[in-house]
Amino acid sequence: MSLAVIKLKNSICFILFFSVVLFSIAFLNSCSPNGQSDFSSVPKADTATKANEKPAPISYTVEIKAMKFEPEEIKVHAGDTVTWINRDMVAHNVTEEGTKIWTSDVLSPDKSWRMAVTKSADYYCNIHTGMKGKIIVE
Amino acid sequence: MKTTTKKIKTWVASATVLTVMLASSAFAQTPKLTDPEIASVAVVANQNDIGFADIAKKKSKNADVLKFADMMSADHKSVIDQAVALVTKLKVTPKDNPLSQKLSSDAANTRKMLESKSAKDFDKAYVDNEVGYHKAVISAVETILVPQAQNAELKALLEKVVPILKMHLSHCEMIQKTIK
Repeated sequence: MSLAVIKLKNSICFILFFSVVLFSIAFLNSCSPNGQSDFSSVPKADTATKANEKPAPISYTVEIKAMKFEPEEIKVHAGDTVTWINRDMVAHNVTEEGTKIWTSDVLSPDKSWRMAVTKSADYYCNIHTGMKGKIIVE
Repeated sequence: MKTTTKKIKTWVASATVLTVMLASSAFAQTPKLTDPEIASVAVVANQNDIGFADIAKKKSKNADVLKFADMMSADHKSVIDQAVALVTKLKVTPKDNPLSQKLSSDAANTRKMLESKSAKDFDKAYVDNEVGYHKAVISAVETILVPQAQNAELKALLEKVVPILKMHLSHCEMIQKTIK
């Protein structure tokens, strides 16, 4: 084999190796969070999907103690759940005040009741009618 | 007729004042109490109000009065249950004492007075008594029983009862305004 052929082979190998290195660098850069690449449309699509997703429901707790609902007013989103727990010495219940569209069981001391909230409501204990609370759906 | 009505009204008012005075005087002559004696006073005070409610449920036709009486029975029974559970846990036996005896005898007189009422006069007599009785008991719990209780759990239980009694008082005061 002549010297010229060997030099040509070495040159081709070098070019190939260099190309592979450059391609690898370019690919890794495109995967980096801060990198600029032609794949930039993918994260945009992902962000759009997240914006349309509803946040996961949150669970709230209202304590019934000293003949009061604590907190008396609670702000939630539709789908969130509220648990009322009776810390008093006497039984209570939780009843929607307007048309009594929903009501809990009688909650003996230390018992609780949970409800998924769909809309705002004023509520009260219909055993002790002076005890009132409010749910605001934002 | 008017004179008779006036006399009845005066008698009812006097009887009510007497009942309240008896309840108040029972608490006013309070000796130093031990925890077992405090437990006994607490149980008797609750039992008395259940007794008054039993009469109301038998004699009244007023929906508000009946609902209030149901609440008195349920709430005071619940308080007694928890007081008994606590003293059992603490291995304390409620001890009869001059104050609990006085409360019991005063309540017996009140029950007689309530039983003697006509259907027409009963509601006012019952509600007036409830207002006076709750005021006297709240004052006694706040100024005698809580300060004298030695055991922390008994003291906490008594403190927890006060908002319940205050809610009862505001409820019966509300009904009182509607009864002539």
